[in-house]
Amino acid sequence: MTNIAPSVRKQDVSGIPIPETGNRRRLNPLPYLLILPTIFFVALFTVWPTLLAIYQSFFRQRLNILKFRDPTFIGLENYQTLLTDERFLRVLQNTFYYILGTVPISILLAFLFALLLNRKVRGVGFARLGFFYPTIMPLVSAATIWMFFFTPDYGLFNSTLQLLGYSGPQNWTGNPDLALLAIMIVMVWKNAGFYMIFYLAGLQSLPTDVFEAAAIDGASSWQMLWRIAFPLLRRTTLFITTIAFIGAFREVDHIFVLTKGGPSRASTVLLYHLWQVRFENQDVGQAAAITVILVAVLLIFTISNFVVSERGGSDDV
Amino acid sequence: MRTSKIYLIVVTLLLIGLLAACGGDTAEAPAVEEPAAEEPAAEEPVAEEPVAEEPVAEEPVAEEPAEEMAPVTIEIFYPVAVDAPIAAILDGYIADFEAENPNITVEPVFSGGYGDVKTAIQTTVEGGGQPPALGLMLATDLYDLANAGIIAPLDDLAGDAAFLDDFFPAFMENSYYDGDLWGIPFQRSVVLLYYNKDMFAEAGLDAPTSWDELAAAAQALTVSDTQWGIQWPSGWPYWLFQPLAIGAGQNIVGESDTEVFFNDPKVIEAVQFYIDLSAEYGAMPAGVQGVWGTAPTDFASGQTAMIVHSSGSLPGILEQADFEVGVMALPGKEAGTYATVVGGGNLYIMDGAPQEQKEAAWKFIEFLTDADRAADFSVQTGYIAARQSSYESEAMQAYLAETPQAAAARDALQYAGREFSVQNLGEVRNIFHDYLQRAYNGEMSAADAMAAAQEEADAALDAFR
Repeated sequence: MTNIAPSVRKQDVSGIPIPETGNRRRLNPLPYLLILPTIFFVALFTVWPTLLAIYQSFFRQRLNILKFRDPTFIGLENYQTLLTDERFLRVLQNTFYYILGTVPISILLAFLFALLLNRKVRGVGFARLGFFYPTIMPLVSAATIWMFFFTPDYGLFNSTLQLLGYSGPQNWTGNPDLALLAIMIVMVWKNAGFYMIFYLAGLQSLPTDVFEAAAIDGASSWQMLWRIAFPLLRRTTLFITTIAFIGAFREVDHIFVLTKGGPSRASTVLLYHLWQVRFENQDVGQAAAITVILVAVLLIFTISNFVVSERGGSDDV
Repeated sequence: MRTSKIYLIVVTLLLIGLLAACGGDTAEAPAVEEPAAEEPAAEEPVAEEPVAEEPVAEEPVAEEPAEEMAPVTIEIFYPVAVDAPIAAILDGYIADFEAENPNITVEPVFSGGYGDVKTAIQTTVEGGGQPPALGLMLATDLYDLANAGIIAPLDDLAGDAAFLDDFFPAFMENSYYDGDLWGIPFQRSVVLLYYNKDMFAEAGLDAPTSWDELAAAAQALTVSDTQWGIQWPSGWPYWLFQPLAIGAGQNIVGESDTEVFFNDPKVIEAVQFYIDLSAEYGAMPAGVQGVWGTAPTDFASGQTAMIVHSSGSLPGILEQADFEVGVMALPGKEAGTYATVVGGGNLYIMDGAPQEQKEAAWKFIEFLTDADRAADFSVQTGYIAARQSSYESEAMQAYLAETPQAAAARDALQYAGREFSVQNLGEVRNIFHDYLQRAYNGEMSAADAMAAAQEEADAALDAFR
């Protein structure tokens, strides 16, 4: 063993011998030390609670029921209950629609806003501020404003729609077919401006020579946009997709203000449901099981997103 | 070599930073437990030397001037649920209290809404921390808070306090559990029917005395496209629905903490009446109305002739309205009957607080709910004073002379039923909301919805029977 070890050290994993330098000889502790604080806090505030949730999800524990106050091991029962619970399945469905309805649309809008504002014209700074403004507002305040916008008859949102010829139902927060949509509208309004900033930064750092070359070749601006600018911004798009996806799971404050998950759970999404189970029903075990499902979904998405992004070449923008 | 030295310095600095961060944690931990360490000190006669060995810097200094009792600091977590300067009012009371009790310091902690106060305290207790001595939480949270071991029974502290009999009986209905006293009414309200007296007079109508008259008045005062007869918020519907059920002759909750009456024919009738106000009479917006926040303004600006809302909205409405505002308990189904339901928050003492904090907290409760102070609180906030004798105080008499609506709000109390509170409240309430809203939105018939609600609620209450 001791004889083999030094010769192994001279190769990296792929088996190609690497030139021996003084630095490579021993393990350099510096990078590890540098990320130590991060690892410490990630372990303390992310990994540990996740492990705890996995552990708790195998137990029955109801804090508001005396006989179930101490945890009892029940195996996978919490998961079985959840996956056969019509309400929970409805919540998953709502969450799916919610993500489908907010993430792609806010990203598309963000891109369009960025294109619109990436010019040197008068008042562009003011317009940028206008689009970005919803972002700096706390979600609760935004929701409170929208509560008045959504008011039937005279609310700003409804009067605007009426001007545009809309004559459908106006009870946005009370109608079971509209409540989830109302929640999505607030979310898109709130986040599109935030994502716009990333696209704006991305657009401004694009190499100009590519566009000059394309112009000389006679490319139309439409072609330049979709064949050059958008592909070059692929990294930005992936980044925004990730934060938008996670954000869609994470941000539920406006639901508390606007619909309280109603009517009849029509606008209850996963995290709001988790809050209800944990703090209203005080069901620790089931809340832990929902947490595990939530973390699993986020992990799967983040990892697959990462894999996809790493596969597609290395054009750094 | 130079670079490696720099690395070394950077790494050392980082490690120091990390240690400092950890050090910060450990330094904080005892600070939380500090009052617990105080506990024995308080029981011991203070004649003894101040506990000089203790490395806590401030304590011995503060202890010296105390005449008889060791100093105690208590926290009170409170919400702001109405449009009134609760924080400033509370600060004023605390200053008066501290002047009377120099050894007690009260630290008010604003914690958001009622739900946030509960969540904050719950999280503290479950995380192993020490909760505040006092919390102002919903009266209906009683069972959940007691079962989870968060609040302490008050019997020992209260003894046979005579002032308990002075509270309006309706407000004490959510204070007892298993024969013990757990909560003292403080920030209390009641559901009211607000009606525009000017519009009623113009149309030659009197205040409604039955469901039929209510519906007829609402219909008569509906003007297509510009004015509703009545708005009845139902985004979070159980509370404003209860007066209907009680008015029909059957509250949704009874004496037992494990029984609900969702599918009682009278309750179903009450659900149907709500639906009919829009479906039959066209006097109310159809379906679930998420208008809790906007209804008072709509009423004050004359866009709706009546609203059903909390008594807490009275000051705001009176301030905005340029017409004569009438308030009353809701008419019941039969002529001449009335019904309403109480709401609002009680003061609770946390079980995790050390004994001397509990005692100080009880003193503060007695101080806050003193009849004159309760009167003052009512005048300043619009909440209903929880004590009957408060209405005899001079300040209150002057206020009532000026605002007869406040007297009407108090008078509504005689028709008040018990607020919906059972074991496993969160789950049962969500079930009820779920089906009540389905009925309101026409997704299910009133009878089907209530039958389904009853079945699921019974299952959710099974573990307690």
